[in-house]
Amino acid sequence: MTANNGGDKGTRNLVIIMVSFIVVVGVVFSLISSRSSTTAAIPASVSAEDGYGIVLNPTAKPTIDVYVDYQCPICKNFEILNGGYLNEVIAQNKAKVVYHPMTFIGPESILAANAAACAADENEFVGMNLAIFQNQSATENSGKWQGDAMLNIGKSIGIKSAKFEKCIKDGNYVKWTGNVAAASAKANVNGTPTIFVNGKELDRNTEYGDPVKFKAALAAGGVK
Amino acid sequence: MAGKFKVAQPWLTLGARLILGGVLITAGALKVGNLQKSAMAVRAYELLPVQLANFLGYTLPWVEIGVGLLLVTGTAVKISGLIGAVTMFAFIIAISQAWARGLSIDCGCFGGGGAVDPKDTKYLSEIIRDLGLFILGIYLYFYPKGRFGLDK
Repeated sequence: MTANNGGDKGTRNLVIIMVSFIVVVGVVFSLISSRSSTTAAIPASVSAEDGYGIVLNPTAKPTIDVYVDYQCPICKNFEILNGGYLNEVIAQNKAKVVYHPMTFIGPESILAANAAACAADENEFVGMNLAIFQNQSATENSGKWQGDAMLNIGKSIGIKSAKFEKCIKDGNYVKWTGNVAAASAKANVNGTPTIFVNGKELDRNTEYGDPVKFKAALAAGGVK
Repeated sequence: MAGKFKVAQPWLTLGARLILGGVLITAGALKVGNLQKSAMAVRAYELLPVQLANFLGYTLPWVEIGVGLLLVTGTAVKISGLIGAVTMFAFIIAISQAWARGLSIDCGCFGGGGAVDPKDTKYLSEIIRDLGLFILGIYLYFYPKGRFGLDK
């Protein structure tokens, strides 16, 4: 009876130690891996001040921040409804637009965000952004974007450089997506899409799904 | 009646441990693989300062796994049950205030989280579920000793 109890107490303490170890290591690992990386390669059009987002028209005013996840269906709808107008604003230099590709839906979001960043290096971000959304799978995390999918999407809009291919295959900007995620966490973005004009968040219930209201919201923020 | 309870109690404790522990392990495990989403879920409650919410989002899943493992193995059940109950109580408060304030969020308990369409909120069922788990935790605090546990 005593020997049994002694053995059981040993096992019990061992379990407590092992569980504590798992929790401590897990917590430390999670906290470290959620931080921004100072050694991550970042695209030329990206700056830390803009939450590591991809910046179009860096000197224009006002600033529009767009937070999306490429696998998010509502983001695809947003792109279809309002992407055209937003691209006009970019082309006519009427605002500085910063895209923050978030990656919380799954690993394929990371593939897409990396591909968009690689395209930004080729000055093809706007086209790639649209092409990726047009190529979105009907279900999230379906595997559609594995393999050469991103490379083929780039080719379909005319990006043919070896540099782009290497960027996709090497996942040059995968670490950067972690920086975008950390910055989005600090900016308190909790769903996608989320749009800010000069730091003021648009109303997700009324202003994203209605092109007229979206245009009005941008105008109210100073987009002429 | 008291006699029947005395016979049943060790098995009830085992059951409570397995259910509460199992739910906690599952909830934690589903979240550790996607810390971005876990942090988003906590931030969406708009209850804590952003930095604290993020910290909780990154660390809570591990605590859930740890407490769940202790419960399932029947180790340090009294305190694990108490921690489980306190956690559930906190969730009930958080979900209730989100509901009362008209926020549209997924509770994020099992890996989802963040803003959702107003018609997709499931606050009542989430609160009832957490209430049941809360009761299990309190029960374990008072009756920590049961079948197949490492505590002696």
